[in-house]
Amino acid sequence: MKFLIRYTFVVLGLFTTTLHAQVPVPVKPQSKPIALTGATAHLGNGRVINNAVLGFDKGKLTIVAEASSNPDLAGYEVINVSGKHVYPGFILPDSPLGLVEVSSIRAMNDVTERGELNPNVRAQAAYNTDSEMITTMRLSGILLAQATPTGGRISGTSSFMELEGWDWEDATHTADIAVHLYWPALMTSQFDFTTFTSTEVPNKEYDKEVSALTQFFTEASAYGKLAARETNLKMEAMQGLFDGKKVLMVYCNKPKEIVSAINFARKYGVKKIALVGGTGSYHVAEFLKENAIPVILQQTHSLPDRPDDDIDLPYKLPYLLTQAGISVTLSHDGMPARARNLAFYAGTAVAYGMDREEALKMICANPAKAMGVDNRVGTLEVGKDATLFVSEGDVLDMKTCIVSQAFIAGKLVNLPTKQEELYERYSRKYGHK
Amino acid sequence: MKKTTLVVALSLIFLTWNSKAQETFPVNDVKDTRAGAHAFTNATIVVDHQTTIQNATLLVKSGKIEQVGAGIKVPAGYAEIDLKGKYIYPSLIDIYTSYGLPAVESGRGGNPFGSAEQIEPKTKGAYNANDAIRSHYQASAEFNLNTKAAEEFRNAGFGSVLTFRADGIARGTSAFVSLGENRDNKSLLKSQAAAHYSFNRGTSTQNYPRSMMGYIALLRQTYLDADWYGSQTPRPFSDQSLEAWIQTQKLPQIFEANEWHNVLRADKVGDEFGVQYIIKGGGDEYKRIDEIKATNAPLIVPVNYPEPFEVEDPLDAMSVSLADMKHWELAPANLARLEKGGITFSITANGLKSPNEFLANVRKAISYGLSESAALQALTTTPARLLKVDDQVGALKKGMLANFIITSGKLFDEKTILHQNWVQGQQFVIKALDVQDANAAYSLTVNGQAGKLEISGDSGSPKGKVTFDTTSVDASIRFANDMITLSYQPIKAKTDRVRLSGWKEGTGFRGKGQLPDGTWVTWTAVRSGDIPKKDDKPATDLTVDLGKVLYPFVAHGSAALPPQQTLLIKNATVWTNEADGVLENTDVLLKDGKILKIGKNLSDPSAKTIDGTGKHLTPGIIDEHSHIAAASINDVASNSGMVRIGDNIDTEDINIYRALAGGVTAVQVLHGSANPIGGQSALIKLRWGESPEKMKIAGADQFIKFALGENVKRTSNASSVRYPQTRMGVEQIYVDAFTNAREYEKKWNFYNDLSAEQKKLAIRPRRDLATETMLEILNKKRYITCHSYVQSEINMLMNVAEQFNFRVNTFTHILEGYKVADKMKAHGVAASTFSDWWNYKWEVRYAIPYNAAIMHREGVVTSINSDDAEMGRRLNQEAAKTIKYGGLSEEDALKMITLNPAKMLHLENQMGSIKVGKSADVVLWSVNPLSIYAKAEKTIIDGKIYFDIETDKLLNKEIELERMRIIQKMKNAKKGGSTTQRTASSIRHQFHCEDVLFNESEY
Repeated sequence: MKFLIRYTFVVLGLFTTTLHAQVPVPVKPQSKPIALTGATAHLGNGRVINNAVLGFDKGKLTIVAEASSNPDLAGYEVINVSGKHVYPGFILPDSPLGLVEVSSIRAMNDVTERGELNPNVRAQAAYNTDSEMITTMRLSGILLAQATPTGGRISGTSSFMELEGWDWEDATHTADIAVHLYWPALMTSQFDFTTFTSTEVPNKEYDKEVSALTQFFTEASAYGKLAARETNLKMEAMQGLFDGKKVLMVYCNKPKEIVSAINFARKYGVKKIALVGGTGSYHVAEFLKENAIPVILQQTHSLPDRPDDDIDLPYKLPYLLTQAGISVTLSHDGMPARARNLAFYAGTAVAYGMDREEALKMICANPAKAMGVDNRVGTLEVGKDATLFVSEGDVLDMKTCIVSQAFIAGKLVNLPTKQEELYERYSRKYGHK
Repeated sequence: MKKTTLVVALSLIFLTWNSKAQETFPVNDVKDTRAGAHAFTNATIVVDHQTTIQNATLLVKSGKIEQVGAGIKVPAGYAEIDLKGKYIYPSLIDIYTSYGLPAVESGRGGNPFGSAEQIEPKTKGAYNANDAIRSHYQASAEFNLNTKAAEEFRNAGFGSVLTFRADGIARGTSAFVSLGENRDNKSLLKSQAAAHYSFNRGTSTQNYPRSMMGYIALLRQTYLDADWYGSQTPRPFSDQSLEAWIQTQKLPQIFEANEWHNVLRADKVGDEFGVQYIIKGGGDEYKRIDEIKATNAPLIVPVNYPEPFEVEDPLDAMSVSLADMKHWELAPANLARLEKGGITFSITANGLKSPNEFLANVRKAISYGLSESAALQALTTTPARLLKVDDQVGALKKGMLANFIITSGKLFDEKTILHQNWVQGQQFVIKALDVQDANAAYSLTVNGQAGKLEISGDSGSPKGKVTFDTTSVDASIRFANDMITLSYQPIKAKTDRVRLSGWKEGTGFRGKGQLPDGTWVTWTAVRSGDIPKKDDKPATDLTVDLGKVLYPFVAHGSAALPPQQTLLIKNATVWTNEADGVLENTDVLLKDGKILKIGKNLSDPSAKTIDGTGKHLTPGIIDEHSHIAAASINDVASNSGMVRIGDNIDTEDINIYRALAGGVTAVQVLHGSANPIGGQSALIKLRWGESPEKMKIAGADQFIKFALGENVKRTSNASSVRYPQTRMGVEQIYVDAFTNAREYEKKWNFYNDLSAEQKKLAIRPRRDLATETMLEILNKKRYITCHSYVQSEINMLMNVAEQFNFRVNTFTHILEGYKVADKMKAHGVAASTFSDWWNYKWEVRYAIPYNAAIMHREGVVTSINSDDAEMGRRLNQEAAKTIKYGGLSEEDALKMITLNPAKMLHLENQMGSIKVGKSADVVLWSVNPLSIYAKAEKTIIDGKIYFDIETDKLLNKEIELERMRIIQKMKNAKKGGSTTQRTASSIRHQFHCEDVLFNESEY
């Protein structure tokens, strides 16, 4: 039947290795140079090459060129992907991926440690490469993710992972890239069960909560300068913020919280800061621009905060902020499995005014920069990781987002997951193929 | 502004009739029974809201009114009180208080979920099966007069009140009491004055009901139970709550609604059982005056206008909604609009922090257009008549209680002072009667030295100015009773003060004083003239610059509803969902709410033409599984088949508008998934701005939500004790319910077949609304949409249905439908699923995004639904995922959200495709509707444009301007002395399937 032809080639052809596995079998490192030819290459930096040659060897890009420039492909295995599109692997920021499987089951959650101030808690150590969720992301172009603890005031330290590997050592791209700070809320919500409405009231604990952070950051910034010191794991974990090795990712949404949080981080000499959340960020866009703070929007397929808001405000927000000169990254919030829709969030930004290649940056180049890994990933440039994928059509639009091949550090990964296996199994049961 | 007043000695205490004497009580003194005979003469007497007699006399004896009129001769032995220049009014009546009753201890606070369910009632004794039915309660049994509270009411002009206990859905009876301070025996005027109801279960912690629709369902069932119980002698068992319910039906029935939707809901319940409730509203009736009027319900309306918000800080002010701002502005005009609408109402101080705010707020309503006569009527004759105590109170007529107030002028004039409040002939002085305006100029003589004194200011804070020669200094003045204390600093440079103490003499003062050097002196102040008054601001018409009422009353509502139009959409790409497929460059003509023609080069001179060039026209999106537009979604009885979403449609949910903007025209508002047998759903069209009943799809088939698996097992609540706890138990719930339904039917058939004679001897079976719902399913008058995930439970329900000879209509969610699609096809059930959800709980571990495609290919009618207000406005995108996951054609993908859900909801004859004769429910899209880049530009329902992308842009501007206008007004109100406390508006909860547990986002 016609509808299965595409998948017969793309998916079913690869089943022999995956049929009884929990997750697709990880593959060996790239053993020979590969060149993808003929595709429309979206480099992730705004540039598009219509008839491109993309060569890579030992996991790194060696050629990014127009076919007309006739690059030397001697020794390359050439894969013709004419008529298709190539993109840099998308980056899923701020994700519980690998730390949580079935979210409603306590035993399957390793994402929230007890306590308030946990910078020393490391996502990398619990990242489970056998999570069945991880590989489903790859079918929508997500090849990299920031595995991130949640909860408490400082939830922990995230690591930047490749979505391929036998274990977390294999999968780690860059360990310990950011510390995550949930800024105290100015307002708290009171829920009324008789009317099922919530009302925001000023958070009476706000000053106290900020004061606890002030003490912690004061001590942490002084700790590094102490000549003789007793090792304190929490303080140690904070040091990367002051020497620029780690990014401080600050979570808040309201304009006043944003200003307070950023000023706070600046005051303690935090070198790299990113704002996560920021539904109200456009009200302080000038401030964010002046401070060169990238904004990671947690979920743009969302409802406006308030009934009075422009109903399309969440959809327009990436464009509004970008227009204001802010580097915007798109992220996912909510049901972890649905993070695979990341590309469509960028698509929506296009529908609401953004240039298509500019929108693409929000899920590759911009997050790489915000997380400090842009020297290796985020765009298709010679010398960077060969982490990229091929799509049958425009990947920002669900009806054409069909990922047919994905390479992570040059490795052609096995795409079909348990879900495709079940699709195959039951399609056969009913004789649909 | 109140004038400075001077109190002059007046003691009438000796005249007061000692009404404390009561014959049955022991006397610990000598007998002291007095006549209490008074004559109030020369007064302007307002007999009732229609009749005023000038220069009249009121005779009172033994606590009753003897005579009222002009030219009455004062009989000997009557203490005469000359009220020249004063007014007498019947004292006011508040029929919504809890005066003299013990406070209701609040129920369990915080999140009531997560603990063991209380299935049985906790009330000890032979009472109702539900703790929220407290019809046996009698306020008279607990009433105990409270002098402090009584004084507060009296000082506001009240003489009698109705008092009830605000606890429960049926709250028992109230007592009508006077505000005197005799014995309780004297104050209690009527012990069973009215029966009370509400949509609030109060202190009950019983599992069911806990939703608006559950409260309504419980009321319905209780009416039926009482009828059944009362029809039997002897009773089938003892239920003192039902006994009381039966006995109190003849009383006035008062329902606390507190909000306009609830007023309509309460009235609708009353209509079903032939009861006309008197309904306590929320003061927001102006939002839907026509619908409120149509209820014919007399209202009890509060005047607790909202305080202004804190809007000084523009960033913080964003948290205040336009709806709240507009309500702040319009609430004082509510009573005027009720009067204009010809609606019967009484006014209550309920909801105010203290009754002492009451008169000022009624006066405010008058300045917003309420007539004084209507105000007085609403505070006297109307409440008296509603309570059937108009033979005792509410007017000043012979034989009625001597309950009246004496005022300095017309009651609702801002400057009018309440002097006295008489309750059953007992006098209470509020402000002494013989008060005189002390604001005047005086010739002052202190120790022989002549000067001038001027007194001005408010009575509470008088201001004085003393002038000797040409030197004027400020004087401090204090009045106490009939005494004055005055001091000033004669020489500005020195702090030494002259201190004077004095008393009233004639129209001035005299007294003793002491100079700074200690010399005692005498002084006098003789009135020499008035101080020219500063002109008060002329009364401005406050009704002129009020904003318009929006339909619905939230941002993005409109002052006018969209008209039905003849619309010709030209040259569009038309997705017909019929055999014609997708037609390019095609015209569609909509007329009289229907699709009239589809073709090329259509014309209709009466039509408004819409250029569809480059655009796509599709049928309106239908969401099979939605939880928007409802006040509540989940109740928690294992069988909650008696609750109805349609009872609690919420027209003001902004998500209706947001869904329209996503091209959605109709939704099934489903009950949640907490119970194996959930509630009845409502099919609505998103007619934004219409009343609840007008949103419903007339004549649509009836549906009910069932649910399986983890949610109904209450998996997320480790303490749950509710049956069932396993999927085995879930099956038994169904088998039991359907078995009982068949037996119920037999019982009723047997009874109905009896002759009239036989019926007299037989016992009529009890009507049970949950079981009747089951019977409707068995008799194919109601159809099941069942929340489901795993294959075992899907098979189970189909088997149960087949065992009882019916078919399940739809499985919703159905994430493992792909595993049993062949069985589903054979059963004939439809499937409504998510595009790509999985792994959020164990039962969706094997969910796959190819589910829709497999079921569709197997021949199951399949749709994609939202269960979520956010996804509900992007259903076109969710449908498009069936192309990515499973490779469906674009046309089939679109049918997943249009024609297929129409089929599931049995609405395919009127919607779901673009076909001549179907409803004009269509959407014009900017590009291919299955693209992420598509935007709905126009969403049309019944030929009315409910969403227009261009209008939406204008609306955004209007919202901002309207906000700014009211913010300025609020800031002025703040300068004018209004308190501002509130900082943020309440946000309605976004419901999901499992939303008894609001803090979980499980589905």
